[in-house]
Amino acid sequence: MQHAFAPSASHPQPQQRQFNPYSENGGTILAIAGANFSVIAGDTRQSEGYSIQTRYAPKVFRLTDKAVLATNGFAADGNMFVKKVRQRLEWYRHAHAKDMSLRAIARLIQTMLYARRFFPYYVYNILGGIEEDGSGAVYSFDPVGSYEREACRAAGAAQSLVQPFLDNQIYFKNQTPAPGTSHPAHLPLNHVLSLVIDSFTSATERHIEVGDGLEMYVVLAKGTPLQGLDAIQGITEMTATDDGERMFIIRRNLKRD
Amino acid sequence: MFLTRSEYDRGVNTFSPEGRLFQVEYAMEAIKLGSTTVGIRTPNGVVLAVEKRVHSPLLESSSIEKIMEIDSHLGCAMSGLTADARTMIDHARVTAQNHSFTYDEKIKVESVAQAVCDLALRFGESVHDEEAMMSRPFGVALLIAGIDELGPQLYHTDPSGTNIRYDAKAIGSGSEAAQSELQDKWHKQMTLEEAQILTLRVLKQVMEEKLDQHNVQVAQVTAEKGFEILDETSLKNVIELM
Amino acid sequence: MASVFSAPGFDFSNQLRNNFIAEKGLPLPKATSTGTTIVGCLFEDGIVLGADTRATEGPIVADKNCEKIHYITESIRCCGAGTAADTEFTTALISSNMELHGLTSGRKPRVVTAMTMLKQMLFRYQGQIGAALVLGGVDATGPHLFTIHPHGSTDKLPYVTMGSGSLAAMAVFESGWQANMTRDAALQLVKDAIAAGIFNDLGSGSNIDACIITASHTEMLRNVEMPNVRVQKERQYGFRRGTTAWKSEDVRNLIVSEEITLLAGGDEMDTT
Repeated sequence: MQHAFAPSASHPQPQQRQFNPYSENGGTILAIAGANFSVIAGDTRQSEGYSIQTRYAPKVFRLTDKAVLATNGFAADGNMFVKKVRQRLEWYRHAHAKDMSLRAIARLIQTMLYARRFFPYYVYNILGGIEEDGSGAVYSFDPVGSYEREACRAAGAAQSLVQPFLDNQIYFKNQTPAPGTSHPAHLPLNHVLSLVIDSFTSATERHIEVGDGLEMYVVLAKGTPLQGLDAIQGITEMTATDDGERMFIIRRNLKRD
Repeated sequence: MFLTRSEYDRGVNTFSPEGRLFQVEYAMEAIKLGSTTVGIRTPNGVVLAVEKRVHSPLLESSSIEKIMEIDSHLGCAMSGLTADARTMIDHARVTAQNHSFTYDEKIKVESVAQAVCDLALRFGESVHDEEAMMSRPFGVALLIAGIDELGPQLYHTDPSGTNIRYDAKAIGSGSEAAQSELQDKWHKQMTLEEAQILTLRVLKQVMEEKLDQHNVQVAQVTAEKGFEILDETSLKNVIELM
Repeated sequence: MASVFSAPGFDFSNQLRNNFIAEKGLPLPKATSTGTTIVGCLFEDGIVLGADTRATEGPIVADKNCEKIHYITESIRCCGAGTAADTEFTTALISSNMELHGLTSGRKPRVVTAMTMLKQMLFRYQGQIGAALVLGGVDATGPHLFTIHPHGSTDKLPYVTMGSGSLAAMAVFESGWQANMTRDAALQLVKDAIAAGIFNDLGSGSNIDACIITASHTEMLRNVEMPNVRVQKERQYGFRRGTTAWKSEDVRNLIVSEEITLLAGGDEMDTT
């Protein structure tokens, strides 16, 4: 049967074409705050679909000696966003003759993300570092700028695998303490590093987009002892100023399949 | 004084051959016609005091506003063409709010002073064939008082866009006498009360009328309470103590 | 009364129904997919088949060491890529039918026979059975290697690859395959091809399985290479007894005890 308004050559129907400016590049990031330190980590695989674009594309970036930003989602947006944050940090230094505090960076990131409310950076951000009061801190963001200070956060491809593990091991969710004891509010550095490594080796086993390499940034508050950090193989100090906070990076290999 | 006046005193964008910007210098002169304004920095806070000229018995002295709040930790006193100060203080307030909105922290005193000076220099900005935003320099000087992580600070800004930090500063018609008095009496470990008294004593010396709670206004910025204008009773108390 | 007439040809009415239901927000359940690398190649004495061992559900690894080389007959094997259930069920069904065919005909069934049965079945289902296969074996007519696509088309080639890692694996074959290779060279080439898939294709991973089929013997090399062994974890995650909270405790006695009273003059055993 011929429809009365069927498209014909003389009356072409409107056609919709679409360009999608976003893509999803896999990988996972994670940050945990201690009492006087912060650990921010991410794998280094960058993928699209079933293909690996590169086995080494950093997702975790040093902003200052006390602030580290991890980005996950659309890699191009993530890299551009970090570039813009760094530019704002520089401008702030020139305008106000001081380094931005972690709390100020967190708020800045919110305003930068929300400025693109209707064409967002397709990126999940986690900011880690040391607060003005010397405490370890983690701020997590959604792509349009909603943010919150937390003790730990995982984001990215394997978020659904890692976050429940962290909830159980950091917040002690679903764990009743032994009678007469209570769970610690903060874990020591070596314990936190073990949890981070195990999170990533496990995510690598069960998520196809996670693997290749692991980069863990450790930020220590002023006057914090190294706690055996110097004995870890493959650790590099990245401290640039003598403000007191110290920054280290630990690199590990992850499975490449 | 202005014997060298020439066609170079017309445009704000033209230096005279001697290297002077006459319009800016005239603006500075306008400040010298203004009422005297004094600011003193102490380790515990900053005190601002202004003379309110009540030139008519019918004038409601409480309606003269020469000290204004910029933010909860920042205050400002003015001398000169006070109408111009509204534009500058509006700008300072917006800058301070923008800063706390963007960075979740209070803006530094120096940054506000700098922002005000940036605005003060806009008189030169006009592109060919376009309406300029400002026709002339501001005819007002400000004393900006505030507290930030570097402690209590006092800044002076003038129509040339210069901003300088002072321990104690006087502007306005009686500024020369007032400044030398401040230089005499100011010392490092001054208490806030001593500073309040000193500001009023300095004002008293340069004022024609007899100083009372109606023809002066005092404000202070402290770490505890931020910016506050002294109410009539506390002002009376200070006057009694001087 | 409803018409008993049924139109000739395929009936796609359920397809329409399924699309309608999916539009209403109830999509068909997602099947485990073996986003896979499978390969096969000819050598001087027969066929070498290879496969990786990763099974995925979307981006999640469902099985780290699954078997993708399926038994058809003793001298015919079939690698499967695509929907796991489809490759497993299809190859098992054809394997049964091949056994019956061998019994009926009294001859060793041929590779083409398996290939024909597979393609006819897949064509009948119009691609709805998501099985992409590499079929290889040796019969009375010599060694044969086929690929069978989900819609039922087939190819006969000296070296083949399939699955999401097929391009990575084919790159290795294209640069390394030669006619009349030795058994060892062919096995190494297959291992290299699968390894290329394992490391360069996210849908493939874990270990290498291989199968060498010659006229006289079939050798299944399960996990012939294990290049992705699990690393030692930093911590042990045992939980203290009593970690799980409970709301109430109720202990029940499941032993039923009965008391039996013997009546006089009962049914005692005659022990005389």
